[in-house]
Amino acid sequence: MKKSYVIGGVVIILALAMAMYSFKSTLTSYVSVSEAKASNRPVQVAGIVVAGTDRYDLDSNNLLFTLREDGGDEMKVEYDGPRPGNFDNVNKVVAIGKYEPKRKVFLARELLVKCPTKYEGRVQGE
Amino acid sequence: MSNLGEITIWLGLIAIGISSGCYWILNSREDDTLAWNVARYSFTGFVAFMTLASILLMFAILKHEFIYSYVVNYSSRDLPLQYLISSFWAGQEGSFLLWVLLGAWLGIFLMHKSGEMEPQVMFIYNLSNLFLTILLIKQSPFKMLAAAPADGQGLNMLLQDPWMVIHPPVIFLGYAAFTIPFAYAIAALWRREYDNWIRPALPWTVFAFLSLGAGIIIGGYWSYKVLGWGGYWGWDPVENASLLPWLAGAALMHGMILEQSRRKLRKTNFILAAFSFLLVIYCTFLTRSGILADFSVHSFQDLGITGWLVFFMFAFLAIFLWFFATRVREIPVSEKGAAFSYFSREFGLIGAMIILCLSAVIIGVGTSAPLITRVLEKTSKVSTEFYVDTNLPLALLIVLLLSFVPLLAWGQNDFSKLSRKLIWALLGAVVSGIITLYYGYPGMAVLLLSIFAGAAVGMNLQLAIKLVRKKITMSAGAIAHLGVGLMFLGIIASSVYDRSEKVLLPQGTMEPTLGYELKFSGPKFVTEPRGVRLDLPVDVKKGNIEFTARPDIRSENNPDGQGMRFSRPHIRRGLVSDLYISPVDFKPGEEENPSAGKQLELKKQEKIKMQDYEITFVGFDVSGMMGQKEGQDVSVGADLLVSYKSGNPVTVKAIITKGQEDWSASPARLPGPVEAYVTLTQIQASAGSIVLDYQGPASGQDKAVEKTPPAFIAEVSIKPGMTVLWLGVFLILLGASIGVARRWPQ
Repeated sequence: MKKSYVIGGVVIILALAMAMYSFKSTLTSYVSVSEAKASNRPVQVAGIVVAGTDRYDLDSNNLLFTLREDGGDEMKVEYDGPRPGNFDNVNKVVAIGKYEPKRKVFLARELLVKCPTKYEGRVQGE
Repeated sequence: MSNLGEITIWLGLIAIGISSGCYWILNSREDDTLAWNVARYSFTGFVAFMTLASILLMFAILKHEFIYSYVVNYSSRDLPLQYLISSFWAGQEGSFLLWVLLGAWLGIFLMHKSGEMEPQVMFIYNLSNLFLTILLIKQSPFKMLAAAPADGQGLNMLLQDPWMVIHPPVIFLGYAAFTIPFAYAIAALWRREYDNWIRPALPWTVFAFLSLGAGIIIGGYWSYKVLGWGGYWGWDPVENASLLPWLAGAALMHGMILEQSRRKLRKTNFILAAFSFLLVIYCTFLTRSGILADFSVHSFQDLGITGWLVFFMFAFLAIFLWFFATRVREIPVSEKGAAFSYFSREFGLIGAMIILCLSAVIIGVGTSAPLITRVLEKTSKVSTEFYVDTNLPLALLIVLLLSFVPLLAWGQNDFSKLSRKLIWALLGAVVSGIITLYYGYPGMAVLLLSIFAGAAVGMNLQLAIKLVRKKITMSAGAIAHLGVGLMFLGIIASSVYDRSEKVLLPQGTMEPTLGYELKFSGPKFVTEPRGVRLDLPVDVKKGNIEFTARPDIRSENNPDGQGMRFSRPHIRRGLVSDLYISPVDFKPGEEENPSAGKQLELKKQEKIKMQDYEITFVGFDVSGMMGQKEGQDVSVGADLLVSYKSGNPVTVKAIITKGQEDWSASPARLPGPVEAYVTLTQIQASAGSIVLDYQGPASGQDKAVEKTPPAFIAEVSIKPGMTVLWLGVFLILLGASIGVARRWPQ
């Protein structure tokens, strides 16, 4: 019985150690546009899509738009992934990725979109 | 009588309060007939009031009583019946009512089935319902507006899907059912009868597992079918919120089976029963308190119940800890004498439980990351890789266990006798490994996962066939485990081997994509009650397969003037792989008739687009009017800034000259490779505007109409293994159903 505790303990500790490592390395902070531009780690930025700036670039197959945060700071976002099905009726997006200083664009690898008013209750308009 | 609904909920609260009080009395005075009657009748009263409140809400929705803000927010006059019904649980307040209602109905069965333990079981169960009813009063679906608007805002289009009609009731049935093993566990501790609760609680646990599992799977299926992002699981907090109690419940279920057969793990099962119930509340807290608002696609807003939920959680945790701490020394431990073998069914079950709990803990930590990091530094969340990376080795261990443990008996096993039976597992492993490698080496971990999952499928398939023939009620485990193996194979196939391509499909042109030939046959606009549906039929051809895919983009105009757009994919299901065509964008065609001169009116600084040109009217050039003598021509120029195909703007001067008789103007050539001219035909100096005559590149030729056809941008994907995945999860549910049927109390 004691041996089984040892084996079980080792498995649990290994798994938790791995989880801790993965937890730390995949953690993305929620930052402002200016912080995102300065950061060299993946971060996430929330804001609105500036009306009329979103377009689909057929050559790169990317979704491009300008994101404006509450304070008024803006940055260009390039998202290479399936366009969220409800992208056109969002009032707020959260872009997760890294800022590319050379091209002056935020490369998003994940895009969370929030619908106004009607998706399982209203999302608070901040 | 201002608000019948709210009064009904208040009456329900009073009834459940009285019932709880009487069950408390019954705990010490078991033969008090009056208390028995009052306890049971008032519980029945609670059920009746909650049913009545639900009927009232349902009627308010069906009869479009827009005086209720809930009815306004989630329904409208044009909704068909099934979506009017699902408006009931489309919002937070209504879904709470649904949760309470289902809990009340389950309580009727529980009350009649719990026998001797009824006072304690029902007291704890009532306590949970009491709390939920308080929350329901705090966020009532019966809040009234000052005046009723003419129509409601309607139901979110994404939720207008048959699967979304049944998804919430199934999930909340699971949530409600997880209270029952907890109530039994506390009752057992309370009564100091540590061995009698497993038998009655096990079927409820399997039922809760089945119901919540079905809800999760329906949610994933809906996401795949409706949302168009091509996935079925996104590790979103709301999804995790139902997965966490489900994993804990799965561990509990295995622990109870072990305890029932081997009298082991008594303490563990008490903890797990508490753990899975507390996780239900914790996850409700996570998703409904608004703390994850920036981290989830669909987090709920805070309706002022956060404090209550935290209190609720700690109150139940305290109740459990108190009972557990005061009795832990009395709980009998398993006989030390019985030799423990690594090569036994016990070992397999304990291993599976550890893995399930670890997975729940890890996913729980990941989901709570914003909460944890808020205290430490900057609020952060983990990316989906965290969940994948950490769960992959756990999945590997689970399928490894499933490939041989089902063969083992309790206690000692002789390997030499069993080795022959492992042939099925071996066969499954080899087949799965070869198929995986044939499609490409996916990395060591995934290859191993696929080999072990294949082994699990082989082993449990053989077992399931044997048991179904022998006695079908015994086959629950084998069928569910076969499903687990298939599910992992489906997950590997669909997430590692899927191929995807974005294509531009101009109308009428054949575009080869991923081995298919796609031809967009033209858009069709269909008027719908609240907007327009744009059908985008695509003819698909591959060999002798030929069909028309019909993805669409629906747009809806809200009363507030905001436009909403939803794209719906078309899925062609196949045994091996699905073809998934999801609309990305639609570009309407442009009809141009360049040969006909176009009149352009421009104000100062105004920019206008014409074919490939962008023309800006900068200002007048009046130098031609200066110092002119009588009788000489006077000319006025307009400075234009012209750019061709968004290139650098070039200044172009268009001039109009007043001769002796009349005005004359000559065309000015525009920059760019094609011939195009503008002629200044009118000047309105007072208004500061000009009129230009534009002659496009096709000028001078026949009236050839140049046309850009409408184009449809689609994301086309081939997703292998989806059928295997759905079959797998279906078998898990089927196995669980057989388990419930087998253990259901007579």
